[in-house]
Amino acid sequence: MAVGRTATDWARPRARIVGSALATGALAGSIAVAVLALYAEGTLFGTRKAFALGALAFGFGLLGWSGSVLAGRGVEAMQRHLDAAGDWTEADSRRAMARITGFGFGAMLGVSATAALV
Amino acid sequence: MASIRFVLKRIALLVPVLFGVATVVFAILHLAPGDPARVIAGQRASAEQLEQVRRELGLHRPLWIQYLSFLGDAAQFDFGQSYSISRGAPVRSVLLDRLPVTLELAILGQLAGIFLGLPLGILSAIRQDSLTDHVTRIGALTGISVPIFWSGPLLILAFATYLDWFPTSGRIDSTLFLPDSWHLLGRELPLTGLVTVDSLLLGNWTAFTSAVHHLFLPALVIGIYSTALISRMMRSSMLEVVRQDYMRTARAKGQGARITVLKHGFRNALIPVVTIIGIQFGTLLGGAVLTETVFGINGMGLTIVTAIGALDYPVVQGTVLTFALLFTLVNLVVDITYGYLDPRIQQ
Amino acid sequence: MSTETRRRGAVDRLRASPFLSKLLSNRLALVGLTIILGMLAIALYARITLDPQALASSRLGTAVPDRAPPGWTGTGPADQYLFGTDSAARDIYERCLYGAWLALQFGTITVGTSTVVGVGLGIVAAYYGDVTDNVVMRTMDVLLAFPPLLLALALVAIFPRELGLWRAVAALTLVYTPRFARVIRGAALTVLEDEYVDATVALGATDPRVLVRHVLPNTLAPITVQSTLNFGLAIIDLAALSFLGFGAQAGTPSWGLMLSRGVDNGLLTGRWWLSFFPGLFLAVTVLGFNLLGDGMRDALDPRMREAID
Repeated sequence: MAVGRTATDWARPRARIVGSALATGALAGSIAVAVLALYAEGTLFGTRKAFALGALAFGFGLLGWSGSVLAGRGVEAMQRHLDAAGDWTEADSRRAMARITGFGFGAMLGVSATAALV
Repeated sequence: MASIRFVLKRIALLVPVLFGVATVVFAILHLAPGDPARVIAGQRASAEQLEQVRRELGLHRPLWIQYLSFLGDAAQFDFGQSYSISRGAPVRSVLLDRLPVTLELAILGQLAGIFLGLPLGILSAIRQDSLTDHVTRIGALTGISVPIFWSGPLLILAFATYLDWFPTSGRIDSTLFLPDSWHLLGRELPLTGLVTVDSLLLGNWTAFTSAVHHLFLPALVIGIYSTALISRMMRSSMLEVVRQDYMRTARAKGQGARITVLKHGFRNALIPVVTIIGIQFGTLLGGAVLTETVFGINGMGLTIVTAIGALDYPVVQGTVLTFALLFTLVNLVVDITYGYLDPRIQQ
Repeated sequence: MSTETRRRGAVDRLRASPFLSKLLSNRLALVGLTIILGMLAIALYARITLDPQALASSRLGTAVPDRAPPGWTGTGPADQYLFGTDSAARDIYERCLYGAWLALQFGTITVGTSTVVGVGLGIVAAYYGDVTDNVVMRTMDVLLAFPPLLLALALVAIFPRELGLWRAVAALTLVYTPRFARVIRGAALTVLEDEYVDATVALGATDPRVLVRHVLPNTLAPITVQSTLNFGLAIIDLAALSFLGFGAQAGTPSWGLMLSRGVDNGLLTGRWWLSFFPGLFLAVTVLGFNLLGDGMRDALDPRMREAID
């Protein structure tokens, strides 16, 4: 990493973003399974859909994250080039996608754990 | 070497991209209505039969185990066997068969778009507000408004059914069969699967003319569409660049106006256009889905349409992943080209 | 410039007439508007006078000839059918008219739902900013990066087949929402930048009130432009999904489905009227929306135009 910055400085804000998203996702996933277990026809159906939704968020986030890194400089340069008023930045996009990825993965974990318990 | 690192970093990013797509594709299967076991076993299957199929598919295992094993298989491009449309055939071989078909159509359409759209766009921009400009612009707007699934049938009716100049469907005469490999300097090499290229490699002139004959109309339909898109983009990009300061400076240095436009304007105007060509490749793949359906060409597009209709999820998964891979690879190439056109991007 | 004039400027800019007068002086836009009004009249006429049940059911085995060419060509047995009949002996002319109703109805539902959801997301993102803004808008960006028709195909696989045309509407709503969210957020930010909203917040206005009273009215113009531009695309995409077999159910007089039948039954035999007429209606309608939309975009305030592409 860049000179003068330690690994902790680099890792801490990132860990916080992903960590809080993971926790939120896990909570949401567990609640979803619990609620579905109470109201829906069977746990299996609800668990499957909830896990799939988590996977959807996780995959979407991953895709968006790598897409942002992949196309980031090009898009930023094109905005400058065309003098467009876009305020898209690679860093913002990566951060948002890290949250979504974390949330999705958290949900997958939460659903699996709750389903194993119920 | 900055540029090699630039390229390597982008290639490495393909891993999370495909990981993400595979995960989304897994999610689609489990969100989709209907029971895969019932698709395979049929509507009249008994409960025991269904349970049996479910076990064979591994659907009784915990979801996270299913997910991990799916990822493992997807990494080897293994999506299992087709449920219904090519029943029992490995999805991988179905995809390998059909990928070149779509690729050939998309490439031909894209080439037509680049070779016609770029000059038309430049011409339109240099002669802004002239008759040429107006005709080009109205033509482009019409090209975008007319759906492929209408222009396609009309072209078939006019040039294939009535005039009989071209065949109505398919990609090569059904009596012609191309071998699987060709020989160069005594070595046996695999073929590309693109009929126009393969027939040339084999030196089979009859097959080549037949392929061109068959693909002319479908490529034309996609080509019209991509020409319209590219010429619109090139025109506005060129106009934008011509207005900028350094163009005035270049002109003041005394070079001929025409040379100035071509030398300075073109390269700079090309930068956003190259990106658009990359993004638009996806739209073109969408166009290929419709074109293949109209012309009865058995490529990826027709495959995904039939597979969704028949709930053949392994094929749907494989096709979606292949489309995503294709789209990403094209944009990777675009991104690298772009870095070459505008070295500032490579930091 | 005092705060007062700026405030008036922001409100008047969009409400007052430069937009309308500019639009009305654009001849191509007027052609587009005429086409749309004509289609609307046809759609209402068809809705009132025609029975969809009858249009959908086969007339094979009755006195009506099937696959009869249009009467005026003088080649067919039945000269009373202006556009000919299809392979189930149904009148293509009446079906095309009713198709206008279906296209406008489902186009409105698709664009309307996307607009409402997009407006909600865009305004919330612009107002709350920060993490909310970032997560909402970057998600929209990723959705926008997918090729529309391929994304719609993947989404269609998730919804049950029994939904018919509603399945196509649901998939396309997800495809179109990001376009609205982005425009509205851009427009709302422009409004929020004007000091008067800050002043309102300082006076103790609650969040929803600021959004509804000040931001929403000022984003009406860009919302209308974006809806018009996307209406044509939505009609094409709905028809495309029906054409591919993921929209209207068999027999429904939707243009996309009629085209698909025309390709199956008319191409090799030269029965051009099966696909020509439904496609003509579709293309003309779409052209109407594209012409009007282009004109509206040109008439729009440049500050608001930036977000629409």
